[in-house]
Amino acid sequence: MFARLVGESFVRNPRRILLAAAALAVGMAVTTAALSVALDVGDRLAREFRSLGANLLVTPQSDSLPLQIGGVDYRPVDEGAYLNEADLGKLRTIFWRHNILGFTPFLDVPERIAIGTDGVDASVIGTWYEHDVSVPDGSSFRTGAKLTHPWWKIQGRWFAEGSRECVLGEGLAARLSAGGGPIIGTTIQLPPKDEPKETGFLRPLIPLVVTGIVSTGGAEDNAILVPLPLTQELAGRPGKFRSLFVSALTKPEDAFSERDPNSMTPAEYDRWYCSPYISSIGTQIEQVLPGSNARAIRRVAETEGRVLTRVSGLLWLVTIAALVAAALAVAATSAATVIERRSEVGLMKALGATNLMVGGIFLAEQFVLAITGGAIGFLFGSLLARVLGTSVFGTPASLRLVLLPIVLGLSAAVVLLGSVIPLRRASRFEPAPILRGE
Amino acid sequence: MFGRLLWRLLRGNRGRLAVALVAMASGAAVISALFNMQFDVQRKLTQEFRTLGANVVIAPAKSFGDGATLDRNLLNTVEMVAGADVAKAPYLYIVARTDANRPVVLAGTWLNAAAALRPYWKIDGEHAPFSAESTSCLVGANAARQFGLKIGNELRLHYGVNEARLTVAGIITAGGAEDDQVVASLPVVQDLASLRGRISLIELRVPGTAHEIRAVADRLQAASGDVRVEPIRQIADAEGALLGRVRLLIVSMAALIFVLTALSVLATMTALAMERRVDVGLMKALGGSIGRIVALFLAEVSVLGVAGGVVGYLVGALLTIWIGRRVFGAAISPRLEVLPLIVALMVGVALAGALPLRLLGRVKPAVILRGE
Repeated sequence: MFARLVGESFVRNPRRILLAAAALAVGMAVTTAALSVALDVGDRLAREFRSLGANLLVTPQSDSLPLQIGGVDYRPVDEGAYLNEADLGKLRTIFWRHNILGFTPFLDVPERIAIGTDGVDASVIGTWYEHDVSVPDGSSFRTGAKLTHPWWKIQGRWFAEGSRECVLGEGLAARLSAGGGPIIGTTIQLPPKDEPKETGFLRPLIPLVVTGIVSTGGAEDNAILVPLPLTQELAGRPGKFRSLFVSALTKPEDAFSERDPNSMTPAEYDRWYCSPYISSIGTQIEQVLPGSNARAIRRVAETEGRVLTRVSGLLWLVTIAALVAAALAVAATSAATVIERRSEVGLMKALGATNLMVGGIFLAEQFVLAITGGAIGFLFGSLLARVLGTSVFGTPASLRLVLLPIVLGLSAAVVLLGSVIPLRRASRFEPAPILRGE
Repeated sequence: MFGRLLWRLLRGNRGRLAVALVAMASGAAVISALFNMQFDVQRKLTQEFRTLGANVVIAPAKSFGDGATLDRNLLNTVEMVAGADVAKAPYLYIVARTDANRPVVLAGTWLNAAAALRPYWKIDGEHAPFSAESTSCLVGANAARQFGLKIGNELRLHYGVNEARLTVAGIITAGGAEDDQVVASLPVVQDLASLRGRISLIELRVPGTAHEIRAVADRLQAASGDVRVEPIRQIADAEGALLGRVRLLIVSMAALIFVLTALSVLATMTALAMERRVDVGLMKALGGSIGRIVALFLAEVSVLGVAGGVVGYLVGALLTIWIGRRVFGAAISPRLEVLPLIVALMVGVALAGALPLRLLGRVKPAVILRGE
């Protein structure tokens, strides 16, 4: 009887039910989408911040003091310590290996280069643009300046791995080509035959084909970029590099992460080690690269932390506000459907239904609506979150089944909120005047 | 007569209208808060990006290796072009030697301005403002470790035959080149290097979007002649991309809530129109025209829309201020221009909600009055 009454009310006025269900479904879709996006946004924005490039700098520990001015190291090549290129694959074996998005080793050599008959002093920077690193677990990982220095803009193309090709900094290219034709495609000599370096031995001339001009807004604009093995050869340091830029996904620093790890209890240390703080990732990198010193590039790390905290805080508050608005809108709709059926309440009461019975029938109906609407809303909302994620961040937000019970519970709570007040009022109705149409 | 009827209708349906108003006002509140933030969030976030430090660098056209320097007067040009309130700091870099004849990069700058322009420096020790001729210096963490320097120690640096005696006032941790350098005040370094009135580069923090920064850089380039004015692209690019995404997110959120509000208002209005059938039947029977009935209904929903918009705007303004305080620690001021926008939106929603009016046209007075 009870079930039939509830079922009847669905069949009798399909449009009303449809509207209420649609409002519920849209409300819950908004809820699902907003929550999915908010849950994901910290991660997404952190990834987005990687367009700032590397946030960790790894240098040899026992290094002599670098004489770096404007990004160029003026130390002679035979001074200072080096790190082993062969160890780099181990970076993908640390605890937070999936948070290491990219890394690029650098080895700079100050040289005198020749083009035609002219000679110019410039530093030669050996690096990777796109390089496959073999990881000890057998896989390989493609990384390089493309990932750690995404703002570098190339005109022409990058040098090929292991080739005798080079890319000129914008400033240097302008100086070299002053008065001349296009510089891409020409060959420069490095270093000239008749100018032996102070180290005493005559080295063979190395011709390099210019494949592109890079604009970086930094010291590289006045340098030559070449594949790493070439500078290793020039410096006489095969398999070595001097600095490593790492781009890692990190969690914003907080009061806990700023404590000295040495002063932590073992439990705290474990928590710190297993959180993707920049300091713990740095420590893990130091552990796999012997003799290295990993430092957070504070300029990037600080800003990232601050902006991330702000933006995710903002989005959470907006999400909560959206949830409240959705809840109120849905509650209002469900209140409207109950108000509309006052006369039915009157009829039921006239036929001897108790307030409890009437309330039960209406609530049961609303709950059926809430569950259906909520489920449809969840599906629709997950779809919406995918679209939103794709349009805003370029990759779809992940489907979160965890949200399903939350959304269903919320939708039930919201219809309850919406129906209780009109039902309470309905319980005070005298059947007679309502049935008379007053 | 029209006014009186309208008033009667509004009063008569208080419960129902209140429900529609709640749905509308809550939607309007969130939408208007989002619009308010849309205006301000870019400015607020740009301020957060200040931690990234300078975004424009002015350097000699040739690289440092050639020992080229700039004239100090360039600072006046910069001030004229970019405005006096743009944060800036000149630097003079030299390679000095310690007593033990170990080379170290010594940077001369305006200590106070440099620290303000590189807020990411973590300075242990003295933060107090330094005087322009101060012989205090800040030592990078790596340099301090290698030379065994502590706060308060004396550091003697040599350049050619000249000597400078500096006091270590603080240790800098930056995760950049500064960690290996000694930073002292500009006149001291100029004297040491016998380069009075010369500087190696100027760093600027130009406010605004990537596009505005580029424009200022171009103007500076035109005014300063044979130097290189470089916007630091790393920063400008990342800032622009991030702000774009945050704004897009806010707009999508607003659109979603708008659809939701519209739908729930539609549901309420349909219920209202259905109930109005009896009134319509009566009016028709009394010879009232459909046009008039429709006008009444439209007036009713417009009043509802305006009320919903205004209430929503006010609540949204409070919401904006609260969110601003919570997230940015400073209130985001609500914009007045959002008010007409939000009212127009809500009236639009309410009118869309009046679509079920078409149902009224089909009402047959006799059937209704008979009570069917």
